[in-house]
Amino acid sequence: DGLQSLDLFLQKTRTGQADFTQVVTAPGKDGQAPRSKTSSGTFEFQRPGRFRFVYLKPFAQTIVADGQRLWLYDADLNQVTQRAQAQALGSTPAALLAAAPDLQALRAEFTLQASVAPQDGEGLDWVLARPKSKDGQLQTVRIGFAGTQLAALEILDSFGQRSMIRFSQVQTNPTLPAATFEFKPPAGADVLRQ
Amino acid sequence: CAQPAAAPAGPDAAQRTFWSGRLALQVEGQPSRSFIAAFELQGHAHTGSLQLSTPLGSTLAQLHWNPQGARLHTNNTIEEAASVDALLERGTGAPIPITALFDWLAGLPTPMDGWSTDLSAIAQGRLSATRFSPEPQTTLRITFER
Repeated sequence: DGLQSLDLFLQKTRTGQADFTQVVTAPGKDGQAPRSKTSSGTFEFQRPGRFRFVYLKPFAQTIVADGQRLWLYDADLNQVTQRAQAQALGSTPAALLAAAPDLQALRAEFTLQASVAPQDGEGLDWVLARPKSKDGQLQTVRIGFAGTQLAALEILDSFGQRSMIRFSQVQTNPTLPAATFEFKPPAGADVLRQ
Repeated sequence: CAQPAAAPAGPDAAQRTFWSGRLALQVEGQPSRSFIAAFELQGHAHTGSLQLSTPLGSTLAQLHWNPQGARLHTNNTIEEAASVDALLERGTGAPIPITALFDWLAGLPTPMDGWSTDLSAIAQGRLSATRFSPEPQTTLRITFER
């Protein structure tokens, strides 16, 4: 079931690389139809503690966790923010995948249980993770596996906004150059602490 | 022919009531601080809502206002106040002048005391504004889907 897949994933997967498509759906407010926004890009991670989300469409934004700091670069705004990773990651979905060394470490931050598939999440083995810290932004995170390969992430935040991330072209344990998780601010971009 | 001071972003700019995009705030200080978020702005200066969310898609704050007052909902607190601008700054540390923002997004350089605006790239869906007073100096940059 999902928990076994997660356990095996955490044991066997040190690095990973995939394309992703993300659909964020805000709950329909007072009668309006729910609005959803789609974005896509690439995702790489190296456990523990490093990952890189590169959003390509509809706009260019890069998020890098280099092990100490979390960097965010927005190309249109030409601005970079950086903050300590420990304080930033806590109970975010990225922490689930990239930061936690093993299941026990994950259980410190989340209660974990095998889960039924969420809407449009059939055919995968799912784990439901509920953050233990109550002041976080997240209600639940579900991780979907195809066997022991990461396939999807469903994030429900405390406002009821749902984000479904689907991974494709997944490569497990590719060799990734060290520079993948180093962030070099582009020339001319303002770099500031959050 | 005479070029209007700042051509509105599009024919229906005045009636438009929904904007979405990203905003970046830079607050000068020791050290300077910055804040980047995705936003959705809806409605009008007198009645509307603003949602701020992280790039990864989780909501940071929701602000609703009408002539009776404003309400800010962050992860686990709900605050209410008379002025929407003051509430947003107090609740999120982000001094975004909601009342003037609707005009700026529509390409109208409505003056806001303490702020100067640059709407020269409004047709490309970009604007920036700097608050000189009160301290600390704050620069707001917005890129929005036209």
